[in-house]
Amino acid sequence: MSMSEDTENFEQLRRLLALKRHEQPPPGYFNDFSRQVVLRIRAGERGGEVTILDQFSWEAPWLQRIWAALETKPILAGAFGLVLCSLLIAGVVFADKADVASGTAAPSLETASLPIVQASIGAADQPFLARPVSLEPSSTGPIDAAKTDELLLNAFGKLRAEPASLSFPGAR
Amino acid sequence: MIMAGPASRKASEPPDEPDVAPPSAAAPVEEMELVKRARKGDLAAYDDLVRRYQERIYATVYHMTANHEDANDLAQEAFIKAFQALKSFKGGSSFYTWVYRIAVNKTINFLKQRRNKGQMSLDDLDFNAEHDPDLVALISDKTPRREVGLAELQEKLNAAMQKLSEPHRLAVTLHDVQGLSHEEIAKIMECNVGTVRSRLFYARQQLQAYLSDYLK
Repeated sequence: MSMSEDTENFEQLRRLLALKRHEQPPPGYFNDFSRQVVLRIRAGERGGEVTILDQFSWEAPWLQRIWAALETKPILAGAFGLVLCSLLIAGVVFADKADVASGTAAPSLETASLPIVQASIGAADQPFLARPVSLEPSSTGPIDAAKTDELLLNAFGKLRAEPASLSFPGAR
Repeated sequence: MIMAGPASRKASEPPDEPDVAPPSAAAPVEEMELVKRARKGDLAAYDDLVRRYQERIYATVYHMTANHEDANDLAQEAFIKAFQALKSFKGGSSFYTWVYRIAVNKTINFLKQRRNKGQMSLDDLDFNAEHDPDLVALISDKTPRREVGLAELQEKLNAAMQKLSEPHRLAVTLHDVQGLSHEEIAKIMECNVGTVRSRLFYARQQLQAYLSDYLK
């Protein structure tokens, strides 16, 4: 094979190899590539998997900077903790004061007029079958749960347990 | 063996030698500044470096493996390894060449361990492929296979590439596909320019034989 033939053939091959330049990964693949690398580096430094916290902190760099500042400067971390504690105490104190103020201004539950539920229980010997409990609550009023519970407990107290006697034909 | 080096050196940590400038337009000073910051643990700076070279590194690994998933893993691992080894990078060569060597070494080690030829998982051809003048000329030539589609041609070409040895495939990939100079390839492959030329010639001959039906 002569040199000119080689050159010519390689020219054809060069054209064919140009096809390789058009092979491209899925669209947007490189948008996420560096992020994946950084996440894997961070996970590797901690010796574990990529966590949601890692992803969040990488997507919010300001949070990363704050965290780094807190890690490197103990005074800043202490001040931050002090501010948080102050806010918590202030919140508790303010909440107590607000409760006291609302207690004097708002009417109590006892004085509020609530709809009363009337319940009636039927015969004591057959409390459930003869006459079912009839409750007539209004569609918007609450059921007086304490009263109905008491009535039901009294009815249970009147129940008697008797030994069962079963006899089958042909049995000895 | 192209990746041969001192016995004390780890395979995936290339030596730090003077090198040619990277083909990208990245300013070396700015790049060194980013490297310095990344060496101190600044991941935002390293993210910037990754963005600069991710496409070239991925493409090289992809053309070597002909598998998108493998290329994704290997390219990411190369950048991770580079970050971990940044302290050994003194700045004598460009970061670009240094990370390139890491990616190439990782890929060749991976291909040696992959005993059976893995399934190809090829990337799609972009829209411009049909309008590429080289390809248009090739397809429109009066060849016995002129009716062949681009997708089939892509598959045959990748299959032929996979038949080459790793050093020959790498030489073709870096020169004929990615357009690097012989000198750059010599630095990346850690051999002299003559060896690069020789490998390139032999690889082309092999490819020409494998693809003879499509090159008449």
